[in-house]
Amino acid sequence: MGFLMKKLLIAASLALLAGTVAASADVLDKVKEKGVLVVGVKADYKPFGFRDPSGAIVGIEPDLAADVAKRLGVKLELVPVVSANRIEFLQQGKIDLMIATTSDKPERRKVVLAVDPPYYSDAVNILLSKKVKNVTKWEDLKGKVLCGTSGAWYNKDVSTKYGAEVKAFDGSEKPLFALKGGECIGYLYDQTFVQGKLLDAEWNTDFAMPLPGVMEAPWILAVAPGEEKFAKFMTDTTIDWMKTGFIVSEEKKWGIEPTDYSKRMNEQYKKGS
Amino acid sequence: MTSHMSSLSAVNPAPANPMPVLLPFQLGARQRRFPTWRATLLHGCGIVGLGLVIAGTAHAQSGPGQLSAIGVIIKWFPLLMSGFLFNVLISLLSMALGTVAGLGLGLGAISHNTLLRQVAWGITQFFRNAPWLVLLFFAMFMIPFQFTIFGTTIPFPDWVKAVIGFALPVMANMSEIVRGAVKSLPSGQWEAAESLAFSRRQTMWMIILPQCVKRMIPPWMNLYTLVAMATVQASIVGVTEMLTLIAQVHAAEGGRPDLLAPLYGFAMLCFFIYCYPIELWTRRLERRFHLHQ
Repeated sequence: MGFLMKKLLIAASLALLAGTVAASADVLDKVKEKGVLVVGVKADYKPFGFRDPSGAIVGIEPDLAADVAKRLGVKLELVPVVSANRIEFLQQGKIDLMIATTSDKPERRKVVLAVDPPYYSDAVNILLSKKVKNVTKWEDLKGKVLCGTSGAWYNKDVSTKYGAEVKAFDGSEKPLFALKGGECIGYLYDQTFVQGKLLDAEWNTDFAMPLPGVMEAPWILAVAPGEEKFAKFMTDTTIDWMKTGFIVSEEKKWGIEPTDYSKRMNEQYKKGS
Repeated sequence: MTSHMSSLSAVNPAPANPMPVLLPFQLGARQRRFPTWRATLLHGCGIVGLGLVIAGTAHAQSGPGQLSAIGVIIKWFPLLMSGFLFNVLISLLSMALGTVAGLGLGLGAISHNTLLRQVAWGITQFFRNAPWLVLLFFAMFMIPFQFTIFGTTIPFPDWVKAVIGFALPVMANMSEIVRGAVKSLPSGQWEAAESLAFSRRQTMWMIILPQCVKRMIPPWMNLYTLVAMATVQASIVGVTEMLTLIAQVHAAEGGRPDLLAPLYGFAMLCFFIYCYPIELWTRRLERRFHLHQ
């Protein structure tokens, strides 16, 4: 029995090895040969990647993916991913490229090949009640009460740096409910989330995002480890997006206020050329 | 009072009525059908009412310029239904696969070959006593997304892996159903067959199994409704089925909290409408087969 197990294990590891070898063959060549680029995007993160009633995945990131496919001259296939499986899909070779609202973290850079510069950046911002008139910069928040999500790393920083009091709640529904109930003047959360909320009539009539984002958290797109050639191609593509202002125009197209990061990068690379 | 008495006597044969098998079929069946039918109506009314109440409150909460909950469901209906059909497809395929495998396993579990019997017993117990979700994770992460055999690549999409994941517990439960049905037949059947010089295999295929079929069908259908309802677990491992789509539709509608109950309520209603008739039919078959034995 032990012998058989050992044999099975060896066979399994050989199979795995064969799989990895196959996966590390140049993905750019594979994509061109197949004529299809498979990109992992979110399908539950409006407006970055979400479903339309026909079932198609649309949004900023699907548009970016479509542009990459166009540059390669291949067809595009979108695979909906969630945070829990996007890295695995990339490592397995199930997707060739990941554009899925992934924050830049050192532990992630160890397991996938991140593309620099980061294509986008989230930040911390406030969904502020329109009734509040005297808040035009972050320093004006001193002594004011904000709702927050418990566990968000920036709650403490915002209260020590700007002197606001942060009432923390679980998840994102409860603080929003408290905000509507008037327990606080604004909701301190990820800027991309606040922008998404402001796309809906329920929020944009009484609330706005008047302040600039602070504490930027860049998002990376990534390819499988070892795909240096593809990563180089994506770096060039990202820089071209920034140069031509493609990302800023995408933000406008999907109805969100262009972020400081996108505008800054646009300026920087326009000058550089 | 009289009907009460007669139903009692139908269930527990009194000396005055020594052969309840010869009682007319309609009598017993009609008496039992009434309470069942009333329960059905009640359930149906309850569910529809619940749906209306949920939708109604949601409608009251939705602000100006917003679609009501019903409007949202109508707008996304084709997409959600395609997701639900996918659940049905996964359940049907895993049931087919699991039934075939389970039949083999169940017959193995009653084999006269000791080794075969023990192996079959071991496999049955292992998969019967493992949580379905764990088996699903197992299938999801252990099976590669594609196989390359002799240069041809066979893709293995997530939903196929989910089918395999659900087929495993179906197989084990089916094995127990087969074993139980065979064991439940009176041993006289075996003895009679033997006295007529049937071999063991002939007895099994020509005498025992045909009689087992009707004993196996009700529990098998029960198992099916369980599988159908379990398929939503596939959303946890990333298969784009109904529950995944519900979450994505919710996000696409701006994550309005007032939509949560109607959307998930709608999913519940779809499964209820699909599974409840099967459940009713199962009960009818159970009653019929019970009376004829």
